[in-house]
Amino acid sequence: MRLTQGTFSFLPDLTDAQIGAQVAYCLRNGWAVNLEFADDPHPRNTYWEMWGQPMFDLKDPAAVMYELAACRKVHGGRAYIRLSAFDATAGWESLRLSFITDRPAEEPGFGLERQEAGGRNIRYTARSYAANKPVGERY
Amino acid sequence: MPRPAAVDLEAAYQASGVGPVLEQLDRELVGLAPVKGRIREIAALLLVDKLRMDLGLRAQPPTLHMSFTGNPGTGKTTVAARMADILHKLGYIRSNHLVSVTRDDLVGQYIGHTAPKTKEILKKAMGGVLFIDEAYYLYRPENERDYGQEAIEILLQVMESRRDDLVVILAGYADRMDRFFGSNPGFRSRIAHHIDFPDYSAGELMAIGERMLAAQSYRFSPAAREAFARYIVARMQQPHFANARSVRNALDRARLRQAVRLFEGRARDLTAEDLMTIDASEILASRVLGAPAA
Amino acid sequence: MNAEPQKPRSGRYDAGVMKYKDMGYFDLDYLPKDTDVLAVFRITPQDGVDAEEAAAAVAGESSTATWTVVWTDRLTASEKYRAKCYRVDPVPGADNQYFAYIAYDLDLFEENSIVNLSASVIGNVFGFKPLKALRLEDMRLPIAYVKTYAGPPTGIVVERERLDKFGRPLLGATVKPKLGLSGRNYGRVVYEALKGGLDFTKDDENINSQSFMHWRDRFLYCMEAVNRAQAMTGEIKGTYLNVSAGDMEQIYERAEFAKQLGSTIIMIDLVIGYSAIQSISRWCRRNDMILHLHRAGHSTYTRQKSHGVSFRVIAKWMRLAGVDHIHAGTVVGKLEGDPATTRGYYDICREAFNPQALQHGLFFDQDWGGLRRVMPVASGGIHAGQMHQLLHHLGEDCVLQFGGGTIGHPMGIAAGATANRVALEAMILARNEGRDYLAEGPAILAAAARGCTPLAQALEVWKDVTFNYTSTDSPDFVPSVSVA
Repeated sequence: MRLTQGTFSFLPDLTDAQIGAQVAYCLRNGWAVNLEFADDPHPRNTYWEMWGQPMFDLKDPAAVMYELAACRKVHGGRAYIRLSAFDATAGWESLRLSFITDRPAEEPGFGLERQEAGGRNIRYTARSYAANKPVGERY
Repeated sequence: MPRPAAVDLEAAYQASGVGPVLEQLDRELVGLAPVKGRIREIAALLLVDKLRMDLGLRAQPPTLHMSFTGNPGTGKTTVAARMADILHKLGYIRSNHLVSVTRDDLVGQYIGHTAPKTKEILKKAMGGVLFIDEAYYLYRPENERDYGQEAIEILLQVMESRRDDLVVILAGYADRMDRFFGSNPGFRSRIAHHIDFPDYSAGELMAIGERMLAAQSYRFSPAAREAFARYIVARMQQPHFANARSVRNALDRARLRQAVRLFEGRARDLTAEDLMTIDASEILASRVLGAPAA
Repeated sequence: MNAEPQKPRSGRYDAGVMKYKDMGYFDLDYLPKDTDVLAVFRITPQDGVDAEEAAAAVAGESSTATWTVVWTDRLTASEKYRAKCYRVDPVPGADNQYFAYIAYDLDLFEENSIVNLSASVIGNVFGFKPLKALRLEDMRLPIAYVKTYAGPPTGIVVERERLDKFGRPLLGATVKPKLGLSGRNYGRVVYEALKGGLDFTKDDENINSQSFMHWRDRFLYCMEAVNRAQAMTGEIKGTYLNVSAGDMEQIYERAEFAKQLGSTIIMIDLVIGYSAIQSISRWCRRNDMILHLHRAGHSTYTRQKSHGVSFRVIAKWMRLAGVDHIHAGTVVGKLEGDPATTRGYYDICREAFNPQALQHGLFFDQDWGGLRRVMPVASGGIHAGQMHQLLHHLGEDCVLQFGGGTIGHPMGIAAGATANRVALEAMILARNEGRDYLAEGPAILAAAARGCTPLAQALEVWKDVTFNYTSTDSPDFVPSVSVA
């Protein structure tokens, strides 16, 4: 399967030049850029691991690409990496853009478990096949 | 894309907008003829390199890291800002900005603190110019557990691998920079341009002083001008002399004394002339000219 | 100190009929207070009726007046309770139409009640005989009044956080055909559309609990589809379960069941009424549920320019009442919507403060006092080939609903969904890269279609579909070029 979280998941994986152009857009808007990685892609897994602190006050996308290269060196191919942009404007104070830059080589997807209950109710649980393995052996 | 067969150097120079920057440098800074000459040379070289790249005669962009050596107050920071302007106009950096730091901005206080600190500064400077003043303080051989070494290693690595993203200018006293390069040959090999900033002559310092006053709508009385010329000569002989910076500090103190004088004589009405004029007494009150400590 | 000698009364309270203008409902010198509720009406007087008298009558009939003088006014601080028409302007370019600006004292209104607000301002006056037609164009709600409402239970920002979707419009589709599908077949449409790439599917306004599909059946099959699509994509999905019903007890029962099944969002129709909307909004706030409002029925009174209530007023009332989604027009689709007027609706939904913008139909400054933002929904006759225009007109904080444009895809529903999602992501990518995506839109879509057959097919099938009809509700003011 292909995990379709993030703004650009239905497009072919972005090249570094394309990622850089999106970062430039974020910096033009004055947003802080953040890198995160995760080996549990569950859609409710909100808190991916942060790769360092969010980057404030940058002038050029090269700075983010520098950190992305470093993050890839450690996690590339063995986890998902995503890039997000944070807007601190009053009344927003949340993300403005969030997309996956890197995926593990294999994406085994999710199984759906159903527990039947009264009145035809069903309780659903989605389980990532990868996350069933111990940390470090998932991808 | 087919390469152009010929290039028009004059047109490229005009289009770059570098000319006005060089003129601004001439206007803005008194003296410094050798420095201005070096900047012109570097600008010419970079412009020609750009054209050579366009013609396919050069594959790699040139190394641009620089060292500015000279005593304090000789205009290194100002010239660095103009250099950022020139590099931006010529298309060697993407954003016209200068991040100016010293050791304290790069080196941490505890283990694990330095790498993120150095990287954060490098990231903020990326796309533009990083100016490291008194760069030799990064290297403290007397302390073998000094965190400065960690900052140096990251700097060297980024100066090499991210040449397209960042220009680093190292600055400081000439003799100390020499020793620094001696013990850190990695830096020497990565620096493409050295610019030496000479001390100002007494006449140049006088001109700088008058310009600083004019910028704040002040001027010397004739007697004050004569006194300040003597002040400069005397100050140059004293320790911790810092060229233009010493002139600025002296003038700040003179303005303070003028204000006190005007305030104490407030019984009479003051004219604009009174408010603008620095009198000889304001200069002569300096300890440099032998006045007793206030 | 001697008292001033009392003057005899002017005759204001003598029994009989007198002009509204003379009864205190008309005062061009009145300076509206910051705490006043302001309204602007478009009035078309009957032949021979003076415009100012008609305007005064609207002020009177929407506040304290009746057709004749009543002495019981003397038992009240009637000066305060009388609405005052403080300005009358002829409508630019229209014959015998006037904008009447009316100020109402804050104490005329109960807190936190759209029912009271609407009963006051539009309760009686629209049938008033001396007027041929009357339209409530806009209102300014003072911040003191705004703050008596809790507003949208979720709002744009929290909805995005909950769904983990940022930086692009959300994509939806209304399940078609509107009527007749069994629950099992209905859920199939939901599953295919969500798996193919949509974020949401939606019940239509008249999908409630008919004999062909009982509501419980629909909810159960839809949630199977949502959960399955979520597992297939690893992405949060939702379907607007329409809980509209004949009485509030049933509405609550359906909402509770949607919650029990784990739905992130429920839906209501505007026709359930303002009290029911405020009640279900309160329920949604208590249960972390996104509330989608379908504006069913609104065109009966919003569409004609001379009579009724402008949709911008309804949008303001709904932001106060507290809905998270509201259908607000597409500009390019099959339903009514002038671009400038629609822009006004979107601003009302999404901005923290609306400055006066006559060219967008906004007559007043409006401070929303920190009320959350409503996500506007664009639905009706839109397709992937219009993506650049939709993004240009509507921005990124909205839901684009492609019903026919998803389900009518020749290769199936999932392919239709994929076509829309790819077109959208390609357009956002191009916009962020700084490209002139409006001008280059067709080229951007064509390039994206080279790597996506479903998009290529969609562009081919719907390439000639546009709905270019003159709008019935366009702004009366156009910006003029000024040299100053």
